[in-house]
Amino acid sequence: MSLTEDEVTQILKWIEDSNFDELNLVMGEMKLVVKKRRDGRLVAEEAAAQRSTQTVVPEKGAMEVEKGKPFCATYEIQDRTGAIPEEGLSAIRSPMLGTFYRCPAPGAPPYVEVGSFVEEGDTVCLIEVMKVFNAVKAGVRGCIAKIFPETGQLVEYGQTLFFVSPDDRIHKKGEA
Amino acid sequence: MKKISRVLVANRGEIAVRIIRACRELGIKSVAAVSEADKDSMAAKIADRVICIGPARPADSYLRADILLCAARGTGCDAIHPGYGFLAEQPDLAELCRQHGVLFIGPSPESLRQMGNKLLARETVRRYSVPVIPGSGKVRDVKEAYQIAEEMGYPILIKAAAGGGGKGIKFVMGPEELRVTFETAAAEARMAFGDETLYLERFFSNARHIEVQIVADCSGKVVQVGERDCSMQRRYQKMIEEAPAPSLSDRQREEIREAGVRIARGMRYESLGTVEFIFDQEAHQFYFLEMNTRIQVEHPVSEMISGIDLVKEQIRIAADEPLPWSQSDVQLTGHAIECRINAETPELGFQPCPGRIEQWVEPEGRGIRVDSHCYSGYFISPYYDSLMAKVITWGMDRSEAIERMRYALERFVITGVDTTIPFLRDIFDQPDYIKGQVHTRWTEEYLDSLHFLTPSGSEDGPPLQETR
Repeated sequence: MSLTEDEVTQILKWIEDSNFDELNLVMGEMKLVVKKRRDGRLVAEEAAAQRSTQTVVPEKGAMEVEKGKPFCATYEIQDRTGAIPEEGLSAIRSPMLGTFYRCPAPGAPPYVEVGSFVEEGDTVCLIEVMKVFNAVKAGVRGCIAKIFPETGQLVEYGQTLFFVSPDDRIHKKGEA
Repeated sequence: MKKISRVLVANRGEIAVRIIRACRELGIKSVAAVSEADKDSMAAKIADRVICIGPARPADSYLRADILLCAARGTGCDAIHPGYGFLAEQPDLAELCRQHGVLFIGPSPESLRQMGNKLLARETVRRYSVPVIPGSGKVRDVKEAYQIAEEMGYPILIKAAAGGGGKGIKFVMGPEELRVTFETAAAEARMAFGDETLYLERFFSNARHIEVQIVADCSGKVVQVGERDCSMQRRYQKMIEEAPAPSLSDRQREEIREAGVRIARGMRYESLGTVEFIFDQEAHQFYFLEMNTRIQVEHPVSEMISGIDLVKEQIRIAADEPLPWSQSDVQLTGHAIECRINAETPELGFQPCPGRIEQWVEPEGRGIRVDSHCYSGYFISPYYDSLMAKVITWGMDRSEAIERMRYALERFVITGVDTTIPFLRDIFDQPDYIKGQVHTRWTEEYLDSLHFLTPSGSEDGPPLQETR
């Protein structure tokens, strides 16, 4: 049993989106450990324990990507558009291709500005695909540090929309 | 005439590369629409622009008509090329394109619908006095299936009306298999196509698959670029194709080509298309099988013998440019063969073998063409089909094309993943193939005989190389 590159990526995404800091996954002879770094980035390691060298005919439809080789990956989130989050910042990425909107309606105030504090579940923008508007959630708690696209701009799947500073001191100050 | 200045390539793999090259030759900019898994693909490297349309899973990327149209408009494309597979034959994308003023490089949504439903296609073609494979209309239930099968005689094929391209076909040897096969066929059709309509077709044990390449423009001009023989199949999926068909008499060849033109003309087809026939070698009779309303995987063999660039013609036709040549200008010269090189393990029942390619060295030489998107270090994703390359050889005659194919298959170096090359090499040493005496079940029968000679699971290497 081994995981494909894409399966590992999927697991990393789940962890990234979750509140958990660490995942230990053991499937038969395979072990996957994922730990969130303090800066919010993920590091994945997969170690293969004793592997049987016997050739087993996989069941029909079963796929093994890297035969006989353990899948080892160090996965670090890198922005495909070249915007690499600075130390301590995390990125909100576009969950789909579409047109980016900062405001809920023309003339209305934008969901967020630089400096706005957001909770995980707060809407930060809209992405429109063929007249269907999809709300994008922050997915992370913190302050908006940078906004990348302009309203009306086409954004790709996975493109960085915002940098968020997970630091919530501003909010605490407000409460005090 | 409409102007095409930028094309969104809504596909992946070798066909995306093929389309981008055709665009470049026509002075058209290309935008590669890629899933997250294809960001390092050859198409992404050579296109003028790349846009990531979604995650690796096709349902979230290459099968999303709304996203693709949005991507086309957002990147200033005036046309979308759907390639083959994915949305190429789905009327939805063509319909959306029409509504939003983007050209769909393919036929009209009406033509896609007419030929997409295989029952409707059979009905349509009968009107043009072309023989259709004997079979039923929609079969309501197992009881009716028994009745019809009894009248037709076994063995029979159960087919999904929404299927096509070798998908949704079940073979039934005798009445004892009918119930279970019918029920599973209905369930599978519902799952795969969202439509469980089934029909029955007569099965021909000694038949060839012959298809006619059609090019039809907006002025109503319909031209055929000869036929192809694709009888070398495994589970209804083509493995080796060639043109012209080696088995036909001149009269049969003319008749079959003319039937293809008649169908395209009758339905006022406009674009590239392929009319597929089954040729029964016992009765020397051909029957309409289905029509593929897109560019086909095996189009290069027709290009090699005609000198016509089919993808370029397809793009020009979508821009309403009339064909600059006529039937009499189509001169077919020599013989061409194509082999599909898949990342599969032949000795494990052709199980897909995705993974990273270590070494990739393509064969070169006179009359050798390789259409591929692969390179050393490329990762073959498990999300998509296993086609890595198409090797096409041309020769003055069939034996020269075979000789060049042998050379090309010997010289092709691919390491890191298993490929179908050892199996293909073996085929080109088989007297039946060399003499051109095969049928659509030949490969399967041959594989069965191999299995008999060398039980699978032997540790000594691929059994295919050891026999004969």
